[in-house]
Amino acid sequence: MTAHTDPPNTPTDATEDERLPCGRLLSEVWTAWEDQADDPHLHECPHCGAAVHDLDQLQSAMSGLREESWDGAAPDAASLTRRVMDVVRLELRPGRPLPLGEPDEDLWVMEAVAARKLRAAAETVPGVRAGSCRLRPSPEQGEGGVEVRMEIHAPSGVALAALADDVRAQVGHAADRDLGMPVASVDIRVTDLIDSSADGQEGRD
Amino acid sequence: MAGVRRHTEPPDTRSTGDEGLLAIRAAEGDEDAFAVLVQRHAPSLIRLATRLLGSRTEAEDAVQDAFISAWRRLPEFQGTSSFGTWTYRIVTNRCLNILRARKPVAPLETAGQVPAPEHAVSPARITEARDAVRELREALDLLSAEQRACWVLRELDGRPYDFIADAVGISQEAVRARVFRARRCLTQALGAWR
Repeated sequence: MTAHTDPPNTPTDATEDERLPCGRLLSEVWTAWEDQADDPHLHECPHCGAAVHDLDQLQSAMSGLREESWDGAAPDAASLTRRVMDVVRLELRPGRPLPLGEPDEDLWVMEAVAARKLRAAAETVPGVRAGSCRLRPSPEQGEGGVEVRMEIHAPSGVALAALADDVRAQVGHAADRDLGMPVASVDIRVTDLIDSSADGQEGRD
Repeated sequence: MAGVRRHTEPPDTRSTGDEGLLAIRAAEGDEDAFAVLVQRHAPSLIRLATRLLGSRTEAEDAVQDAFISAWRRLPEFQGTSSFGTWTYRIVTNRCLNILRARKPVAPLETAGQVPAPEHAVSPARITEARDAVRELREALDLLSAEQRACWVLRELDGRPYDFIADAVGISQEAVRARVFRARRCLTQALGAWR
């Protein structure tokens, strides 16, 4: 049935291209098949037909394999996630320590921990999603405090200046109330405007 | 005949904005954000690795390692591609390395006798179609690691050539050549066993 696999000059490598008796290259025939090219020759030529038939056989076995590799139990994403996170928690990247409380108090919070709190505070403002949140000690000695730089996605159709003020207030409040962290400044950058009709709230903390 | 072209789900069209934010947070050390991303992408990546490696157990290990590697590399993740595409690439390359490290396979003549590892089907259910699938699964072991990876991404995972080129890190022409050689080898193997 596979007439074309018995060519005039047998290829030395089984994976090399092959010229069919009609003059077409096997690779050309298969590419035309893949591109669904409209070539009358392919419908008429028995050699090309046989070549396409072989590929069809492969494709149908492939479809079976695709379904089969999936008919077992669905992958257990939860247990894989747990195993991954077990390792990740041994390799945390907490960032730099930041001062808490009074300047002479020897009390610190790690940047990643504080950032998580501040992002959550920013997201209490309706429609706001927080991304990057970098914290660094204010370079001004003595006065202390932490400089916050946060990127947010804001809802479209809202006055951004007022929104930023709200976010700033929530962030400052959370820093003071939840962390006891003196804040020198809160720099808000709006990096995207979200159409509220396409509200994607999944994955929130 | 040509109705079989199908393209499965793109890497992640789902809530791209949210995805980008989670990746940034994870890059800044927020492991909870990373956990959400892992949970979200694990199923499709396990499916990909299972197709590449032919073994679910090996696939889960490969995906687990890939995610841990992703966590370590996240600070350098520039966000030029989506997190989904980035991890797809990491998993593909990890699987390629596993395939390359496998022992050379049995020659074509004896390959048909190799028992199917973990997909054994009850004899009563074996039909001709099942036979073809089993033969194909065994024939996949005849391919080089690169041919196998390109063929699997193209045919089982339904990816366009430019996407595969990017994931494997070779030119589109090289991907096409490998897919062709894989098809050539597989059609011959299926034909030879009939």
